[in-house]
Order: sequence, then C-alpha cells, then structure tokens
Amino acid sequence: MMPMRAGNASLYNRGMLLVLAALVVGSALGPMLWAISTSLKNEVNAVSAVPSLIPSPATLSNYLSVFRHKTFGIELLNSIVYAAGAVAIALAVGIPAGYVASRYAFPGKRTIMLIILATSMVPGVALLVPTFYLLDHLGLLNNRFVLIVILASRIAPQTVWFMQNFIDAVPVEIDEAAHIDGASRWQTLTKLVLPLIRPGIAAVAVIGAITTWNDYITIAVFAPETTKRTLQVALVNQVFDAVGISWSFTMAFAIVASLPVILMFLLVQKWFIAGLTAGAVKG
Amino acid sequence: MLWFVPVLLLLLIVTLYPTLFVVWMSFQKTRYYDLLGFVGLANYLSALTSRAFWETTYTSLVYMAGSLVLSLGLGVVAALALNALGRSGVVLRVLTLVPWTLSMAVVGTIWLWLFNPAYGPISYTMREVGLSPGLMLGDPDLALWLVILVTSWWSFPYSMVIVTAAIQSIPRELYEAVSIDGGNWRAKLRYVTWPHLIPTLGSTALTLGILYLTLITLLIVLTGGGPLGATTTLSFEVFRGTVQAIDIGPTAVWSIAILLANIGLGVLYMRLTGRVTG
Repeated sequence: MMPMRAGNASLYNRGMLLVLAALVVGSALGPMLWAISTSLKNEVNAVSAVPSLIPSPATLSNYLSVFRHKTFGIELLNSIVYAAGAVAIALAVGIPAGYVASRYAFPGKRTIMLIILATSMVPGVALLVPTFYLLDHLGLLNNRFVLIVILASRIAPQTVWFMQNFIDAVPVEIDEAAHIDGASRWQTLTKLVLPLIRPGIAAVAVIGAITTWNDYITIAVFAPETTKRTLQVALVNQVFDAVGISWSFTMAFAIVASLPVILMFLLVQKWFIAGLTAGAVKG
Repeated sequence: MLWFVPVLLLLLIVTLYPTLFVVWMSFQKTRYYDLLGFVGLANYLSALTSRAFWETTYTSLVYMAGSLVLSLGLGVVAALALNALGRSGVVLRVLTLVPWTLSMAVVGTIWLWLFNPAYGPISYTMREVGLSPGLMLGDPDLALWLVILVTSWWSFPYSMVIVTAAIQSIPRELYEAVSIDGGNWRAKLRYVTWPHLIPTLGSTALTLGILYLTLITLLIVLTGGGPLGATTTLSFEVFRGTVQAIDIGPTAVWSIAILLANIGLGVLYMRLTGRVTG
C-alpha cells in the first residue's frame, strides 16, 4: 500500500527525486551506452555527420573482427595469465600473513605491519624509474613472471589486511579445539579456517583480478614487446594509431576488454562495495 | 614470524628496494639511464628551481582540486538521491558503480570518442545549440577541464558508495528527533546528515587525492599531457621521463616529490580514520 497521506508537496519531492536519480544513473551509463551503440554500427555509420544512438543497421561485425584479430588471442591470454598469476601469488603470501596477524601477538609484529602499510603508500609511478633501471640491468624487461610478481606486490598489502579481517571474524575457539585434537597450525588454517572464509577469499581474488586486469602502465613500461602486451595495452596502442583508427572496432575492443571485469564485479558486487567502504567511514 | 616471510620478501624486493634505489638515483649525475657518480643535491636544485616543475605542480593541484570538487559533489548528490529511493536505489547504485570498475584505458578511449570534434555526440550537440565545440581536448584552455570531467565521471561512483555507507550509519533516532521538532527534509539534511558526512568526505578526499596525484593512464589516452603541456601533471611527466630516458636523475627527483606527497596524504588519512595497525 502506498501511504495515502502523500500531499502535493511530498509528491513533488518524490518527482524531483526520481528526476535526480534518473540523471545520476543516466550520466553514469550514458557514455557506456554510446560506446555500445558505436560498436554495433558499421564503420561508415559510426562517423556519420548526424550521430544517432540507435545503430541502423546494427551489426556484430566489429566484434567478429576483434575476435579474429591476429594478436587478440595472445593479448587475451596475457591478460588472463597476469591477473590469475598475480592473484595466486598475492593469496599465497597474504593468507599465511593474515592468519598470523589475526591470531598471534609477538615482538616485532607492529614493525612488520608498519612495513606492509608503508609499502602500500608507495605509488606505482614513483617506482617506474628505479624498477625500469633495475630490470634493464638484470635483463628482466619483457619477462612475464617478473610482471606477475610486480602486479602481485601491488595487491599484496590489501590482501593481508582483508585476510586478517576475515579471519578475525572466525571464532578463535575453533583453532583451540583443533589444536587440542592435535592439528598443526597449517592444518588448522587450511582445513578449518579457510573453508569458513571462502566467500571472502573469492571477493579478495576478484578485486585483485580487476585491479590487475585493468593495469596499463606496468605492462606498457616494463614489457614493451608486442607478444607480452595485454588487451589494455593493445587498446591504448590503437588510440595512438589515430590515423588508421576505426572507432566502431575500437569501441567493440574496449567493450570486450571490459566484459570480464564487469561480469566479475556484478558477481561479487556486495563484497566489492564492502571492500570499498572498509575503514573509509568514520562512525 | 615465519609466516610473514613470503609477503615481506615480496614487498622488500619489489617495492621497498626500488624506493630506496630511486632516492640513491636522485643524488647521481645521469645521462640517459647511466649513473655517472654522486652529485649531492644538484638534481634537486635544478628541479626545484625549474619553471617546468612548478608549472607541472600547479597543473597537478588544479587537476586534483577540480576532480575532487566534482567527484565528491556528484557523489553526495548521487548517494542522497539513490538512498532516498529505498530498495530500488540498491540496484541503481550497482549500475552507477560500473564506470568505476572500468580501466583508465577503456574510460579514456570511450571519452576520446565522445569528445571527438568532428563525429562525437558532444560536439554535435554543441553545434546544434549554436556553440562552437572547437578542438575539445585539443584546446589548451579547455583540455584540463575536460580531463577533470572524465576523471569525475569515472570516480564519482566511488564517492557515492562511501557517502552512502556513511549515510546509512547515521542512527534513525536523530532524524526522528528532527521530525518531532517539526523539521522538514532540509533541516534533516543540514543538522543530521551533513555533520555526519564531513569526516567521511575528508577521508574520501584523501583517498581520491592520492589516486588523482598518481594517475597516468587516463592522461596518456586523453591528451598525452598536451596540448602545449596543458594537462602535464607531475606523474605524467615522470612517465614521460621514464620512457624517453634522456636524463633520468631529474625524473628521479620528481618521483620522490610524488612519493613524499603520497606519504603525506596517506599519513593524514591514517590520522583521520584512526586506522591502527598491529
């Protein structure tokens, strides 16, 4: 039942509210709709003198061209391998650290946590020059494993903190009972604690994967070789090639490069939002 | 503790060591990427007395301030509007958050197309209403403002989510108290919501400020630092210095300037949110 006492003033407010909400959502989605529309146009209609939102005739040929592009396969593979590798390393180093941070107090722990915090305050841009120098001298530019390790180091601090928080929420009595039953610390973590925080691990993995997938600068600077580049790097290179650019193809490429991220986001949006707000709101 | 060793090794080698190394580089005489010996503060002196450094710092500050005002402003409006809608606002909020998940490369590419002076919908609309779109991102007087607009489009959903969480943490009793005293929604906004939002806006401004300070990719795609250096920020200049590699010493100094600014904002953030470690 709608409240019956809604007077003219509150109806007016409700109307204004709906207009405002429509403006907000429209301004967020509008540019993306335009990109989708362009990706469905043929190359001629995409650059017509009178632009129109509805593609007529609509065509999927740009998407076919993206999938058939000769370097698309390796770029997609690189994007997947880098993101999966970085997340795997970040979890492998972050889970044990988060467990110990949650469960144990020991001398030097504060210093360790401060080091992790301090490294999270070093921006990637400040590391461009020294990292390039060091990799160049070690002959490690264009090395896939090195890229993965660098990407992992960017998401490692947040992984430790998230894990610490998730494990904090698991009652410590579970660990104590397991200990009495003779389980080792490793068994307690892997057999009892980790299954309980599985949704949290999935969320951290997805957030880390989105960050890594979306990276451009790390790959572009430390791996200039074409065979090492990702979808993001390939997209930017198309834009650089401004003369030969086909906007309908480029928009289709941008959408294909974004789809995995949008799907992952929608899959874990509740956790994603919780991750964004963690610690940001002062009560 | 042994279980901390892997993560510490990773961070010490990949983050901390290069951080110390860039400090060492900044004290070296350099040609291209060659380190030619200790020169003390010479690089610092030449950077801090150069016009380019201060002009770029100014551009960075304008870029950060403009993006902050727009992103936080839009974020607050979006949060209030969608929160007042109740349940249907939840879905709309998720949709509004999608731009934030897109990469800077994708965001830049989409807007480069929207701003296209010949075929883009924005310049078309401007011509239809009798305005001259000019060169859009190619216009030195306009480019920075358009980049600020794009940055805000991308990041206002983040502000919205944080502000929404802050609004939802306000106890209902406070609104009821205003109602009992005969206050309308304006009074609620002014005396309950707003005072509760201020600290959150502060911490969000710091998070976003760090992001804007260190952002590069969006600038690479949209303007490449141009036209005529109008959108060259400190971070963009470090990127250019790294890949052009004409003389890496001064670039090391610029890197350290960004590093110190980032640490300053980060420490301020810790103070403000009271986040403790250990």
